[in-house]
Amino acid sequence: MIELEHVSKRFTLDDKTVTAVDDVSLKIFDGEIFGIIGFSGAGKSTLVRCINLLERPDVGNVKINNIEFTSLKPKDLYNARKKIGMIFQQFNLMPSRTVFQNVAYPLKGMSKDAISKKVRELLNLVEIGDKENAYPSELSGGQKQRVAIARALANEPDILLCDEATSALDPQTTYSILKLLKELNKKLSLTIVVITHEMEVVKTICTRAAVMDAGRIVETGDVFNIFSRPQHQMTKNFVRSTSHLSKLDDLMRENSPMVELKPGEMLVKLTYGQLDVSEPLISIAARQFNIDLNIVLADVEIVAGALIGGTVLILSGEAAKIHEAVNYFKSKGVRVDVIKSEIEDAIYKEEEVYAETEVRL
Amino acid sequence: MHEVLVEWLPNLMKRLPEFWKAAGDTVLMEVWAGAICFVLGMIFGIILTVTKPGGIMENRPVYQTLDKIINLFRSIPFIILLTALMPLSRFIMGTAIYVRGVIVPLVFGATPFFSRQVESALAQTDKGLIEAALSMGSSPFEIIFRVYLRESVAPLTRATTITAISLLGLTAMAGAVGAGGLGDFAIRYGHDRNMIDITWVTVIVLVLAVSIVQWLGDKIARKNTH
Repeated sequence: MIELEHVSKRFTLDDKTVTAVDDVSLKIFDGEIFGIIGFSGAGKSTLVRCINLLERPDVGNVKINNIEFTSLKPKDLYNARKKIGMIFQQFNLMPSRTVFQNVAYPLKGMSKDAISKKVRELLNLVEIGDKENAYPSELSGGQKQRVAIARALANEPDILLCDEATSALDPQTTYSILKLLKELNKKLSLTIVVITHEMEVVKTICTRAAVMDAGRIVETGDVFNIFSRPQHQMTKNFVRSTSHLSKLDDLMRENSPMVELKPGEMLVKLTYGQLDVSEPLISIAARQFNIDLNIVLADVEIVAGALIGGTVLILSGEAAKIHEAVNYFKSKGVRVDVIKSEIEDAIYKEEEVYAETEVRL
Repeated sequence: MHEVLVEWLPNLMKRLPEFWKAAGDTVLMEVWAGAICFVLGMIFGIILTVTKPGGIMENRPVYQTLDKIINLFRSIPFIILLTALMPLSRFIMGTAIYVRGVIVPLVFGATPFFSRQVESALAQTDKGLIEAALSMGSSPFEIIFRVYLRESVAPLTRATTITAISLLGLTAMAGAVGAGGLGDFAIRYGHDRNMIDITWVTVIVLVLAVSIVQWLGDKIARKNTH
């Protein structure tokens, strides 16, 4: 288990002090894939470096498997680091060494045969066994990251830290690397900490995540909860930035005819949580309340193994019936945001909700 | 063949043994001073790299002191260094003349230059590699040998080539204080006695020497670039 207790780290540059990590406390459990997400400059990279003490925190404790890292002697720290692998955005392979030699780098004090055997085993594990004599400059980004993963796993670590490991890769390669990380997590019961600014990455592999903003962790929880019920504004921005529903903001800003309402109509956003998705809510509502539901946008996807998503609809019909339909959705656990309303009825305070959707991404 | 040479290079052919001796002295100065300078420059260059702010063994006093000393010696013209270091040379080598007498000033002249060259060669090492090595549990000494030096063979070779060539220039100047060597040979006969053929041959030999060193350096550097 990785435990950070009230960790802070400041940097001073030209008389200006920047607090990169501000009083962060965090627990990451064995065997989980934990995401730390935030926009660039949020302090995620500094935070992950506080775990293996590449950055020494100014304040706070770092405990890994009940060993107090912050009070280790240099020599013990070097040994302890061998049990924490790390991969990087820029791969950081040694250009003058072949793939084989790179993976062999951390293997010291073993016989030549043992090293060869271990290196080949690792290269096969990351499915790049045929490239052992190539130099890094001859590899693609995805291949380089595979080699970096093999190297990080050489000392059979319990923990793998990934610092924006897929940010320099195209979407398809990103997916293949994430798939590999997920497999390694299962196969080696490896704890993986993923630092990223890409919500997709967190969605694809993480079980739990923390959202970071200005050096602080603003939200922690199951990835599913973070996605379906984001609490903090920063998290909402993130979630919105990855959903197709974010197009709604553009449509609103452009006053698109798609979201233009006639009198008696109302534009709403439904956000589903968990199981509701399987129920034919919209057709039930249409039949039961005799109203028209026009789908403007829809986005449903799988996060952490469960369905999540939403729809943007224009409801038209009798004001009272629309009101009933909204209540019906709410009773099913669907969150209803009224974006815009042309209904005389003043029940819906559109300004408030609209203000929220205005937040720029 | 011999007749042709005598006809074209009358002065040189009369002083052949002396010419060979001078060439040998130049080689001796280059090799001895070069070897000492290589070792010292490497050490100083590494110390500068690891102790500088943000380095893996950051140490402000050490860095500042070494940095200032190197700047000091770099700013003294070599011809002044040659004479100023005579007492030190007598103390260390027992003499201030001949090849033995100029090794000390040659080392003092070339080491600061080479240290800077080493420093800038090592500075080209990607910081990410250092970070990766640290994350794998490498100690600072391991990082010096297995990352900094190992990953900088090509730039270090280039630095060595440049220094070896400029050291050759210094050995010619060392002739002025009685060290002998090709520079001294060229000045004494070629310039002082106006024996043009000796000047020309010396120049050609030095150009050849420089070309060989450069060619060798380039070859090693290219072989170590991937």
